[in-house]
This record gives sequence, structure tokens and C-alpha cells, in this order.
Amino acid sequence: MTDTKQKSLSLLHRLWLLGCSLKLAIALASAATILIMGGSLVMHFYPAIFAGMENDIMARWLPWAWAQAPLLVAWVPLSGICIFLFAINTLCCLIDWLLKIKARWRKTGEYLIHAGFILLSIAFLWGNISGFRSGPHRIFQGEHLAIPNMQGLSLLLEEFTPQLEPSGRPLDMLNQVSLWDNGTQVAEALVRMNHPLIYNGLVILPTSFGQELDGFKFHIPGRGVIELRTGSKLSISSETDIVLHKMLPDARRNNQGRVIQTGSRLNNPAMLISLQGPSGKLWEGWYFLRNPLPRQLRESGIALRPTEPVFKTFSLLTINRDPGDKVAAMGAGCITLGVFFALFSFYRKRAHGDRPEV
Amino acid sequence: MSKPLLYLLFSTYATATIGYLLHLIWRRPIIAKGALALIAAGVFLQTGLLAHRWWLAGYLPVTNLFATLFFFSWALALIYLYFELRYRIRATGLFVMLLNLLLLGGALPRDTKISALIPALDTPLFSLHIIFSFIGYAFFAMAFSIGALYLLQTRLHSNMLPDLQTLRRINEEAVFLGFSLFTLCMIAGSIWAHIAWGHWFSWNIKSVWSVLVWMFYAGMCHAKFIRRWQGGVYAWLSIAGFGVVLFTYLGIGLLLESNHPLD
Repeated sequence: MTDTKQKSLSLLHRLWLLGCSLKLAIALASAATILIMGGSLVMHFYPAIFAGMENDIMARWLPWAWAQAPLLVAWVPLSGICIFLFAINTLCCLIDWLLKIKARWRKTGEYLIHAGFILLSIAFLWGNISGFRSGPHRIFQGEHLAIPNMQGLSLLLEEFTPQLEPSGRPLDMLNQVSLWDNGTQVAEALVRMNHPLIYNGLVILPTSFGQELDGFKFHIPGRGVIELRTGSKLSISSETDIVLHKMLPDARRNNQGRVIQTGSRLNNPAMLISLQGPSGKLWEGWYFLRNPLPRQLRESGIALRPTEPVFKTFSLLTINRDPGDKVAAMGAGCITLGVFFALFSFYRKRAHGDRPEV
Repeated sequence: MSKPLLYLLFSTYATATIGYLLHLIWRRPIIAKGALALIAAGVFLQTGLLAHRWWLAGYLPVTNLFATLFFFSWALALIYLYFELRYRIRATGLFVMLLNLLLLGGALPRDTKISALIPALDTPLFSLHIIFSFIGYAFFAMAFSIGALYLLQTRLHSNMLPDLQTLRRINEEAVFLGFSLFTLCMIAGSIWAHIAWGHWFSWNIKSVWSVLVWMFYAGMCHAKFIRRWQGGVYAWLSIAGFGVVLFTYLGIGLLLESNHPLD
């Protein structure tokens, strides 16, 4: 063998030994630990920068945060590099062990933990590069919601039932949902607290719920109380109907005379209604419920007295995607199995003296 | 939980601690045996109280500072009992039980009321996460105590304390068992986070520090193979590691905002 070949082989061998080095593992893990320790305190004191870290994947959050304050977020990529190198070091150790498994099979538990750590690192990287986190998405019963970043996939909320304690404290949110891929149902589930719909890396789970003003109840002399919801029609006579097109909980007219929404809480409600006759639309306009009925309605002989608002409930759903979730599950499985093997072999090795000599 | 029973439990452990102290002074085996019997009685009583609270609540009631301190104290006493029965480490009990008295003493003045479980915690994964976490913490507390005693013994060379080899064995075992259980705690927590929040790793400060605890003790499981670190350095690392554990458990829960608040 030539000198050059020998030198390159010896360099490769030295690199391999470095890759498997326990001291390197400790140095990298210590560096990552110190960086993350410091970084976690920076996180606490700069919530404006770091609050979004939880709600987005690293590939989206990091460039944004870096643009805001590179010095404050520098620990994130630095510790990421340390952990990445640490995972490579762990992989080298695992390969080294596999090559000598006949003599070192007693360490199966420990090396299953190593394998699990490598899988978790891959899963974390994968999920944080090509996954997404979105929501909370507002969805009403019977409504379809397009899944973000996944063309053709949509979610249908078939039924929503919030569960409350007698005190009004929310207990659970029961969302009967189905997932559709280009018109074909691919999954369905009752999504509630701690019971998400998991499909192909997607996780759909309840976040909260709320109510939106949907209409009003009115008293009509001689007819009693009737309910008018958005999109519904109220027959006034055999030839005349009132149709409610839009309902705003808090509205006003601006300088140009246009009606604009000023808030989401019930304060100065207004409804866009039209009067329909046999020949079509007779009139359309805004009715501010705190004011008297519009002249056109009064002249048509309509007498409405608003009594109480009508709300419809919506569900708030979080939709995340982690394509690495199966790899993470495999990693977790390896680690769990490894722990039990290692626990068993620890005492066996102690009994046989196969451990660092005390 | 009735306060008199809590004070009885505290008195039992306090008497056992005094017993170990007297054993150090008078060196009578009967005193050490009495102290051990008291600890066993304390563990029995504490297990009963914990089971009763669990039965009353319908879930493992470890959701506030009182309950976590109480559970931590129970786990530490139980683990001490395991090491005592396995290695007969008697005088070591003084140090461990002092730590236990601090935990239980911290719980005594607090409200023992069991609060309603918030819906997100209503899963067996929560119970597994908590059980593995605090038993892991208790092993780390044991390793801390043994590490401190190891350093003391290197100076004193007292025949009242276990020899350095035994202390090293116990320290390594406590770290390994603590790491194993804390790993299971992290796995249960990750699965729970995935189904409750849709991601298995959270950038919340508590989760970040839990990963740091895991990495630190993973490092310690490797450090025992470095010859120069065996013994003294390992003992110092056990002490430093428990500092990280305490900050993760109490520091973050009480001083910082996290999704694991302690009240």
C-alpha cells in the first residue's frame, strides 16, 4: 500500500474514532445544554420574539425571528448545530456497536435508546422543515374548511357540541368531523380534548369555541315571537317577504354613508335586509335595531319589535402537520424498549461485574 | 387530607431523622433499626394518604405545589427505603431524610384541597407523566444526597458512612434509574403533547428545561465511563444535576411563566 493510501486510511480511521468519541459526545451535549440554558432565559425575557416559536415550525419562525433580532436568536441555530453533530456522533457509536454486536449485545438497551434519539432528531428536523402549524380555525357546523398547504383536502364539521359544567365552565368540545380528499371521505372521528383526528401526519384538535351573532328574535303583533337568522326569509303577507342577508353585532354609518362593522361584541346591531315582492326586490337597506324600523318597512305595514339576539356556535380547531410523526413514534418506541432492556441488563451486568470497575 | 395526619407523618420522618442523628453519636444499631422502622411506617402512612386522595379525586392529584411536594416526598422516602434495604446505608438516611423533611415541610402549610381536574389533564398519560417524572426526580435527589456524602466521605473517611465504593455504586445506580424513569416521563409527556396540542415537542420553558435535565443525566450515564470523572467529579455532577432538577421543578413553576404552573 502506498504512503498516500495509508495516510488517507489513517485519516479516515481517526475521523471515525472522533465520530465515535465519548468525549466529543459529552462536549457537544454540554455545549448544547449551556446554549439552551442561556437561550431559555432569553426566551422568557423577550416574549415578543419567542412567543411565535410555539405556533410555527422552525423553518418559518427562525428566518422571521432572525430578521427581528439575530443576536437574541443566535442560540437556536447554534444549539441546533450542536445537537445535529451530537446525533451524528450518536449514529457513529450506534454503527460501531452494530459492527461489534456479537461481543456487545448486552448493551442492546442502551443502543436502542441511542437509535431512538437519532430517530427523534430526524423526526424533529423533518417536521420542522416540511410540516406546518395552523389555527385556530373558526368553523361552523355543516361547514367545509380547506386544509392549509394541502390541496384537495378539506374538513367537514358535521356536528359540534360544547360540553359545559352547570357553572358554565367548559368541560369538552365534541366535534364530529370528517376529512375529505377531492370529494372522497378519507377519515372521520369525534375530535375532543386529548382525542385528535390523526391522518397522514395531520393532527386536528379542538382549541376552543365561541358564538357569533346570527340573527334576532322579533315580536310581531298577532303572530308572537319569530326568529330571523342570516339567509332566512320571513313571510309578512301572502306576497311580501323579508330576507336577512347580513347581521353585524356592532355597526355604524361612516362619512360616505356606508355601514361598517365597528366591533364583534353585541352593541349596536344592524341587519342588511330586503323586502321581496312577487315581482322581485322591492327594497334593500340596513336596519339598526336600536333605531325605529326603516320608513320603507313601516310604509309596507310591517311592525317588528326586536326582543333578543340569536347566536350560532362555532368551533375553533387547530390543524397541524408533522410528516415526521411516525419516525418520532418509532423513536419513542425504541427508547421505551431500550429503557426496559437497559434496566434489566443494568442489574444483570452488576451481578456479573460487567461494568466500569468500581 | 386531614392536617393532623400530615403532622403525624412529618413527626414520623422527623423522629426517624433524629434517630439517625443519635445513631451517629451513640452508634447503637438498635437506634438505626428504629429509625428505619419509622421510615417504613411513614411510607406506609403516606402511601395510604396518597391512595385515599387519589380515590377521592378520581385522578392522581398532583396538580398543585402541595400535591407535587407531597408526591415528591413520598417517592423520595420510598426510594430511600429501597436503597436502605438493598445496601444498608443507614447513616446516609440522615441526609436523605433531611431533604425529605424540607419537601414535606414545604407542603405542610399549603392548602390540601383537591381542585377540579382541568379537561386537558384528564388522560392516563398525565398520570404516567407525573409518576415517572417525580420518581425520576426522587432518584436524582437520592443521587444528589449520595454525591454530597461521597464528597464528605473523601474528607472524613468515617466508618459511620458507607465506603466510597458503595457510595459510588449507589450514586451511579440512582442516576441510571432516575434517567430511565425520567426518559419514560418524557415519552409519556411527548405523546400527551401530541394528542393535546398537536406537537410532541413544545418550546415552552418547562419542556425545554426538561430536555436539559434529560440531556444532563444522559451525559452522566456516559460520564461514568471516563476514568478521571469516576467518583469525585461524578459526585459534583450529581449535585449540579439536582440544581437543574430543582430549577426545572420549582424555579420555573414558581418564578417564570410556563404551561406547568405551581400554585
